[in-house]
Amino acid sequence: MRALCWEGVNDLRVQTVPDPEIVNPHDVILRITMSTTCGSDLHFIDGYVPSMVPGDVIGHEFMGIVEDVGPEVKKVKKGDRVVVPSFVACGDCWYCQHDLYSLCDNTNPNAELQAPLLGYPTGACFGYTHAFGGYAGSHAQYMRVPHADVGCFHVPDGLRDEQVLFLSDAAPTGYMGADFCDIKPGDIVAVWGCGGVGLMAQQSAFLLGAERVIAIDRFPERLKMAREHIGSETINYAETPDVLAILQEMTGGRGPDACIDAVGMEAHGTGPGYLYDKALQTLRLVTDRGQALRQAIMAVRKGGTLSILGVYGVMDKFPVGVIMNKGLTVRTAQQHGQHYLPRLLEHAVKGELDPSYLATHRFSLEDGPRAYDMFKNKEDGIVRAVFTP
Amino acid sequence: MADALKGALGAGEASREQRRGTLILGGALLALGLRRVSFGSAALALTGGALLYRELARRPGQAGAKTSEVTRSVTIGRSADELYGFRRGAGHLPRVMEHFAVITETDQDRAHWTVHVPGGRSFSWDTQIVDDRPGELLSWQSLPGTELPNRGEVRFRPAPGDRGSEVTLHLHFQPPGAAAAKALNGLVPRTLAGDALRRFKSLVETGEIPTLDRNPSGRAATA
Ligand SMILES: [Zn+2]
Ligand SMILES: [Zn+2]
Repeated sequence: MRALCWEGVNDLRVQTVPDPEIVNPHDVILRITMSTTCGSDLHFIDGYVPSMVPGDVIGHEFMGIVEDVGPEVKKVKKGDRVVVPSFVACGDCWYCQHDLYSLCDNTNPNAELQAPLLGYPTGACFGYTHAFGGYAGSHAQYMRVPHADVGCFHVPDGLRDEQVLFLSDAAPTGYMGADFCDIKPGDIVAVWGCGGVGLMAQQSAFLLGAERVIAIDRFPERLKMAREHIGSETINYAETPDVLAILQEMTGGRGPDACIDAVGMEAHGTGPGYLYDKALQTLRLVTDRGQALRQAIMAVRKGGTLSILGVYGVMDKFPVGVIMNKGLTVRTAQQHGQHYLPRLLEHAVKGELDPSYLATHRFSLEDGPRAYDMFKNKEDGIVRAVFTP
Repeated sequence: MADALKGALGAGEASREQRRGTLILGGALLALGLRRVSFGSAALALTGGALLYRELARRPGQAGAKTSEVTRSVTIGRSADELYGFRRGAGHLPRVMEHFAVITETDQDRAHWTVHVPGGRSFSWDTQIVDDRPGELLSWQSLPGTELPNRGEVRFRPAPGDRGSEVTLHLHFQPPGAAAAKALNGLVPRTLAGDALRRFKSLVETGEIPTLDRNPSGRAATA
């Protein structure tokens, strides 16, 4: 089959690779119908996170049609159209049974590599680094999906592929971020970042009952999307000297009840410990993102919630004293997609959630390297590049 | 590699057994690391390689009989009795350890281990169960005459709440060189023990072991 492979820093190539096979009894083979780029891919493409191996097939946000099923698969049949969360979960361990799917104990074949970095290993993520499992990803014609009964969600008839694709990753991540905010009537939620995850977090905040949503970004076309597709109020931080003061004025001096950090990152794939290895790059990353996170910590009202979807490494100058004195609640995770998918599909069927506007650019798989180049450099107002293999 | 092994093995009858023991471990770890291509495995391969290198560079006769030990624990969502039963069940041990060794269970209490190392060689030893307390503990040790004396024990005890059981694996090697013992105290035995426990847990909890076998990649691909 054809697949988009990471061959080195800033070196992606489309290659012919062996077809995936059923290896374990709960596997299915999926024929990919749609797959999309994610901001967290950029970190290993740029060489900021280690444990990629040349030849790795990338991509972790996808949907497809079941082509083959393992002997123990019960709920999924050949021919089913399904969407799959990017983190692989077994459904049987303590974490899965407590709806903490991305923390699954049983899906990371390289758990022993990751444990020293995080203390305890997480579940695996498709198409990502070897510390996160090393499973081949979705920018390919076919893909092996382990624990298919837990990971594959049937797509209701009447929903188009591009309405469902982002329910694999961006939507559940954003929804989880809003869910963490425990939104009550009258609440105002501020979201840093208007990429796929940030936009989904804003929309989810409204779905969960927020009175107002305020979006902060620097790309005019993304802010426009937040206003037009979601109804968020927007702040372009590149044009205003003091975001904090503006937020305070917009909220009667109280501050937003919850602040969601979805800056620059699409919220999963890289773990904190990784960044030790590339100190210089880490500093660069942390400097950028640290500003948004610190701003969010300052902006949120006393006793409010800070929900972190962005990825952080060894951040210095983390203002824990502000968090403590203001009595903030901090919540964060890689996405627990298996927990949110049923709810998200329901919203999609009712017409309350249609993320298809994120698919600003379409490519064939063969154009993968060019697509990532555009995505990385934010050319032509691109929000997400979508591949139809 | 084959020549290096042969040369090393041919040196001096007295240290022959000791040297072979270290070479087995070093080579096995190297093989293990190289097979699982990834950055942590690279560390594993390097450690294995370092072990080999140190042994090859070491002059015969300076070995100290230091031991190397490791203890790792994992919590598994099953009762201690169930876990003991799984561990005792035929075929379970060979599957859990197949990433490291080929194990043939000769009878209920004995197993034959074979580890393949680079250069086409393989090394073997037999283990015997020496303590068996159902639902609580199982311990084993290698039979006399092996190149790599080792013993181990697995202990099961109830975990609090709905968490199942706490399972502790204790491994004890007698590598023949002081340098080897030092190296063994690091990452490698911890990784081996941790992998074994995780593989056991996954098999028991999910009925399968996560794997990258036959994982598509562009590593051997033609563009
Ligand atoms: Zn993602
Ligand atoms: Zn699990």
